[in-house]
Amino acid sequence: MSRLKTILLVATWDLMKLRNQKVFVAMRLAWFTVQVLVFARAISYIVTRTVENYTGGVEYYYFYILGVYTTLLYSTSIARGYMVAEEFDDGIVEYHLSLPVKRSTLAIGRVLGGGVSTLIFTLPMMIIVYTVLRVRDPVIVAISLASALVFSAGVVSLVILLVFTIKSTDLTDIIVGAIDALLVRLSTVFYPLPVIASTGIAPYYVAATLNPISHMSDFLRILVFPEYYLVAPYGPLASILYLVGFSMGLLLLAIEFYEKKLETGGWR
Amino acid sequence: MRRKAVEIINFTKKFGDFTAVEDLNLDIYENEIFGLLGPNGSGKTTTLLTIATVYKPTSGDIYVYGHSVTREDYEVRKLVGIAFQEPKAMWIDKAIDLLTWHARIVGYPREEAKRVVREVMELLGLWEHRNKYFYQLSGGTRKKVELAKVLIQKPRIAILDEPTAQVDVLSKHALWDVIKKLRSEGTTVIIATNDMFEAERVCERIAIIYRGKLRALGTISELKDSVPKGDIIEIQVQEELRDREALRELEVFGRVSVNSDMITIYSDKAEEKVVDVIDALRKRGLQVKRIMVKEPSLDDVFTYLTGAKLRE
Repeated sequence: MSRLKTILLVATWDLMKLRNQKVFVAMRLAWFTVQVLVFARAISYIVTRTVENYTGGVEYYYFYILGVYTTLLYSTSIARGYMVAEEFDDGIVEYHLSLPVKRSTLAIGRVLGGGVSTLIFTLPMMIIVYTVLRVRDPVIVAISLASALVFSAGVVSLVILLVFTIKSTDLTDIIVGAIDALLVRLSTVFYPLPVIASTGIAPYYVAATLNPISHMSDFLRILVFPEYYLVAPYGPLASILYLVGFSMGLLLLAIEFYEKKLETGGWR
Repeated sequence: MRRKAVEIINFTKKFGDFTAVEDLNLDIYENEIFGLLGPNGSGKTTTLLTIATVYKPTSGDIYVYGHSVTREDYEVRKLVGIAFQEPKAMWIDKAIDLLTWHARIVGYPREEAKRVVREVMELLGLWEHRNKYFYQLSGGTRKKVELAKVLIQKPRIAILDEPTAQVDVLSKHALWDVIKKLRSEGTTVIIATNDMFEAERVCERIAIIYRGKLRALGTISELKDSVPKGDIIEIQVQEELRDREALRELEVFGRVSVNSDMITIYSDKAEEKVVDVIDALRKRGLQVKRIMVKEPSLDDVFTYLTGAKLRE
């Protein structure tokens, strides 16, 4: 069996789990629809029109719902990682490590599987957002999907590394929860970068600039509303290179970890 | 000379300060059913998981058909299949999905995978449960799903960690037949168990492990013979034995105790001595009503070697 085929087969492990979570996906979709169509509208009314000076003229509602989609993409990727923690707890990692598969293939397959299943999970939400935004260009949709996959693979790699290093359900909850809260808040998902700059809090601005969530949400914004590029300090090419670097770097670390360090036992 | 399938050399495994297995040396030969016998926590599973490359040795090494688990782990995994002690699945999994995925990942093409999965599920009586979620299955059925993975894989070395734990008695016998069939098809089988009946029934050679150390190794009869005076010859005679001289004569075979018409002799290799015992009694004019030779059980062997009971 070729290596690529084995990677794809490993990836189907996560897709198999997704198939058995239809009710969960439906509930999440219903909640997201309410969030985009009701709460996002309400929040946008509160925000003054002057914010459009910071969004390159993009209506805050549109700015916001792309941020909400990015947050969902991020939290779903984190949830895939939690599933790996649960698998560790249930001993499934032991099963995977015993399979006649190279460890690097297993690592790539799990990251790809986590990424693709996140993409499928969030696809209905993307359709809702792009319908509201009236995005019909298939190229924009294809690039959005590809970038979402790259971003998600990076986050899944990060969580897998954390889970396998921490080896504790409780500690994983605390640390991943803290990272989750910090990364989302120190990003541009809800506030444009010029607004963050105007606060004068340098660490906040630096964190938001280096944050992969900022790059993901701003990349989608520039893709859909090119005028946002006018206020974004980094262009789409810089953002996508940053995201690819983020994902590839973490994937390489995950591969290294699977090959050299990973063994089960000692889970708390 | 028999070919070594697994060679364990000075294998030690530690988890932090805890030593799970200490300086284990063991050879397992091709196409035998080998048993690792010991109570829970004795180091059996740690040894099996290291053979399967799930754990890495702290020191020493294990070779599977000459491939080191530390340096050639992928080569080892291509030769080994394992049925874990605790079935490996999440509550939302369905047996058929798990087994089909397993068949594909061990190399079956799509259609062939479907065929072999159905064949194995039918063999183990799992087909009717194929679409149930894992949480809906009984403990015994879950164990069968675990065993099914190995039967699908048909590895050169099958590792079965307590394969019939939680399985009902009728199914146990069926599974033992399946395990023997697996061996007859060319697979070397390594079983970890704390069930002495299972060990006696299925295994050809046994290693007794206790507190991470190898305490004994051999065939079942070799292990039983290792218990001094472990065999028991029970003789029921026509009348109560009052002849002191006859008693003294019997003592050459071993320690003798008399209770009314029952004579009990604790001896070694009783099967070889029983004829002489009968002759000695006849010479004294004693009529033998009934005679029975009992071997020590593996539990007795274990207790003799470790001072503990198998199920602590």
